[in-house]
Amino acid sequence: MNISFSCRAILGLSALALTLSMPTALQAQERFFPYESHSETLDNGLSVVLIPMESGGLLSYWTLVRTGARDEVEPGRTGFAHFFEHMMFRGTEKYPAEKFNEIITRIGASSNAYTTDDFTAYHLDIAAGDLETVMDLESDRFQNLSYSKAVFQTEAGAVYGEYRKNRASPFFTIYEGMRQAAFDEHTYGHTAMGYVQDIQGMPQLFDYSLGFFDRFYRPDNSILMIVGDLEVGPTMEMIKKYYGSWKSGYQSPEITPEPEQKAERRIEVSYEGSSLPIVWLAYKSPAFDPADKSLAAADLLCDLAFGETSTLYNKLVLEEQLVELLDSGTNMNRDPSVIDVYTRVKDPANVERVLQEIDQAIAAIVENPPSAEELEKVQKRRKYSFLMALDAASNVASMMARILAVSGELKTVDTYFTTMSEVAPEDIQEAARTYFDSQRRTVAVLKGAQ
Amino acid sequence: MKRFENLSRWVSAPLWLALLAVVLTACGGTKESGDTGSTPAGVPTVLLEVPTDPTVSFSLWFKFGSIHDPSGKEGLAALTGSMVAAGATEKHSYPEILDKLYPLASSYEVRVDKEMTTLTGRAHVDNLELFVELLTDAVLSPAFEQGDFDRLKSNQLNSLKTQLRFADDEELGKAALRDFIYRDTANAHPVAGTVAGVESLTLEDVKQFYQRHFNKNNVTLGLGGGFDQALVERMQASLAQLPDGEPSGSVAIEPAAIEGRRVRLVQKPGADASISFGFPIDLKRGERELYALWVANSWLGEHRNTSSHLFQVIRELRGLNYGDYSYIEAFPEGGRRQMPPVNVARRHQIFEVWIRTLPNAQAIFALRAALREVDKLVQDGMSEDDFELTRSFMTKYHLHFAPTTENRLGYRIDDSFYGIEGKGHLARFAEVLPTLTLEEVNAAIRKHWQVDRLKIAIVTGEAEALEQTLAQNEPTPISYESPKSPEILEEDKEISTYPLGIAEGGIETVAVEDIFQE
Repeated sequence: MNISFSCRAILGLSALALTLSMPTALQAQERFFPYESHSETLDNGLSVVLIPMESGGLLSYWTLVRTGARDEVEPGRTGFAHFFEHMMFRGTEKYPAEKFNEIITRIGASSNAYTTDDFTAYHLDIAAGDLETVMDLESDRFQNLSYSKAVFQTEAGAVYGEYRKNRASPFFTIYEGMRQAAFDEHTYGHTAMGYVQDIQGMPQLFDYSLGFFDRFYRPDNSILMIVGDLEVGPTMEMIKKYYGSWKSGYQSPEITPEPEQKAERRIEVSYEGSSLPIVWLAYKSPAFDPADKSLAAADLLCDLAFGETSTLYNKLVLEEQLVELLDSGTNMNRDPSVIDVYTRVKDPANVERVLQEIDQAIAAIVENPPSAEELEKVQKRRKYSFLMALDAASNVASMMARILAVSGELKTVDTYFTTMSEVAPEDIQEAARTYFDSQRRTVAVLKGAQ
Repeated sequence: MKRFENLSRWVSAPLWLALLAVVLTACGGTKESGDTGSTPAGVPTVLLEVPTDPTVSFSLWFKFGSIHDPSGKEGLAALTGSMVAAGATEKHSYPEILDKLYPLASSYEVRVDKEMTTLTGRAHVDNLELFVELLTDAVLSPAFEQGDFDRLKSNQLNSLKTQLRFADDEELGKAALRDFIYRDTANAHPVAGTVAGVESLTLEDVKQFYQRHFNKNNVTLGLGGGFDQALVERMQASLAQLPDGEPSGSVAIEPAAIEGRRVRLVQKPGADASISFGFPIDLKRGERELYALWVANSWLGEHRNTSSHLFQVIRELRGLNYGDYSYIEAFPEGGRRQMPPVNVARRHQIFEVWIRTLPNAQAIFALRAALREVDKLVQDGMSEDDFELTRSFMTKYHLHFAPTTENRLGYRIDDSFYGIEGKGHLARFAEVLPTLTLEEVNAAIRKHWQVDRLKIAIVTGEAEALEQTLAQNEPTPISYESPKSPEILEEDKEISTYPLGIAEGGIETVAVEDIFQE
């Protein structure tokens, strides 16, 4: 059993004020995340993270299963993690779906779930007094999910409906196409939604779904996070009571690594509706590592090269007005992934010109690193924006979900921000050379019907 | 349910939240006090003190909206708002403003809605000096540069021509319904306007609209968080520098009475069906009847919630689509948010049912199912059990509506819009809820809801086929890939022949490339 306990005082919003007031250089690694936390791993492997904070008598209750589209390794099974997320609301013998819904309704919980490439999240916002009721329900469904074949097949219609609503979006369309083109082997090549032909085949996969639950929905593949008005001691006792019987046995899938990309890929994505052209560049990048200074540098570079105060943004969006939007970002993934740069071009005739401008913006940084002052502005913005978002229990939990699911521990926050604060201008320059290599990118262009 | 997250988004929270977050809310327990009033300086205030909050939230509420767009200039309010929030000032170019705001991780944004406009922002107390300077400068001294005008007008046109028409069928359906219900009134067009209206706008139009509506008698100052009295006085003094002028005033919105059930089909090649239907209702926040109807609506169609009865009937039991909900207050961008938005307060509201995207072949069956459920509710009322369960649900669920100072300030501004004094809408709702009776709720249903006079909007790729089914009241039997219980199959027979009752000549079709043209 691994136990770590941070002794920080419950500072709430005052802690936020204190942290923000500290000069960057004085922000020691262990002090960046402003709230007390308690991390513990049960004997069955379930990771527990508790974040007590003043929240007006409310709690945010999250279960993170570290299985997502990444784990869909078998042919014809894309989108299954997302589909299974829907099945998790279909009840158990003790609490059939109708009873589960009635209890959730009676206590006025806000309940939802989502699936990503690396994990699936189930979350509820509840009154603190309903904690045990919810823990009884949640621990039960994660151990004893039970549904009929008919119910399973009915849910397939809802998932197909979700795909149908998404496909109207040109951004969803190009994102789906870009991912498929950028990855030959790795499961990041498909979105969490899955391919339409696989979604249509889902009603036939009842037996497969039982095995999916058995392999992946295990405590040693899951994290329980509770944020808000709670006391650590009694809450831990309750967790051990309700989750202690959950049997470990996670079976890790064999995920084929993506071979090194050695040449640029270009695709054109068609969109049946009318749309301005969207250009999406995906540069290969390493897996998330909070101590990896080069990845942190690439992250900051995105703002410096493509952010709203960048030279390129000023030129393309504000002055020449060739594009309507320009954005970029690195991804926090368990396996090597991509850095995204995307823009919507106002005139199809300018697509190549915009691509050239993007290349020149990167070349400019390779040639001349940003000034220390420019870099400091980005670092300061990142810290302020991150901390200012931690203003409610539900927001804290929402912000922490991915970093917990990907890295497995909350201290990653402090590690990452420490790493980020150590990035120097020459690191940005090196990141531009290392990651923004045109031979290791995929360029997708969406063109709509005119 | 899915979402796309990346590392940069994760550490750039405001953008990340705006694009991706499911907004989860709660009524905070931090010590706070609220006050609405005005001082001799003249500018009314809405103040929400939260001394422990190290940030300050700003909300400048101007009493105009898209209903104040001049005829033929639809979209002018939205473009003027954009010019103030995303353009240069007399002191700074827009790139300079972005550069100054950037390290603060702060920004100010405008939301122009039908009947109100808010300019909002948030800054850490360390950064108030610069933020206040930039915010007040934006309001008092916009430069109205041609370059900004060209950029923002182009964006607004694209939001109509490609985004609304082609990139989100569900929002298109809802916009088509409002346009249909409020036809020939100033409330018909989307906030972004019409294509012809926006194309006609000139920089001079924007300047004149600003002069008319951005005046000191048309603004309320909202502050929330860790501000002090000095900031209140400073902001009031700044806003008092706005030109003198008249409040925007009310606009007569009198939609034609709806005769029977009428349908508007939006033909979009290749599209599945996205359906909305509804009719105007005359209820406002603060009125007891609204809270009674709120209970009924929560049971019928609570937004993004499995407790919604429509969700249970159409999605959960039959698997026809992703979700089905109902509303008695405006809820824009419903596909992207979990909790109700703030600062979309309106005197003109509709009752609205939203049937999410589904195959065209099942569209009329789903429409029938929803109409039938509303019909049954109007005729039979809620049961005692459903009433008590829903009341229990709402007693706690509404606590999630406003978790942050920003959210709570937004509610306070809306309270001012509706003239609600004291603790405000959410607190009043909490007080009224335990005293409501089933009889009151059912009386409110009978008084405000009906199914005989309503309008239906359907975005579809098969308008011709749907028109025939609707006009001929053709049965729409349904089959499933999975077995269903005898009870469901028996009910399906009733649903598939439920009278559509479309008024004679009550179906019209518009091509997607023509909708919101003028």
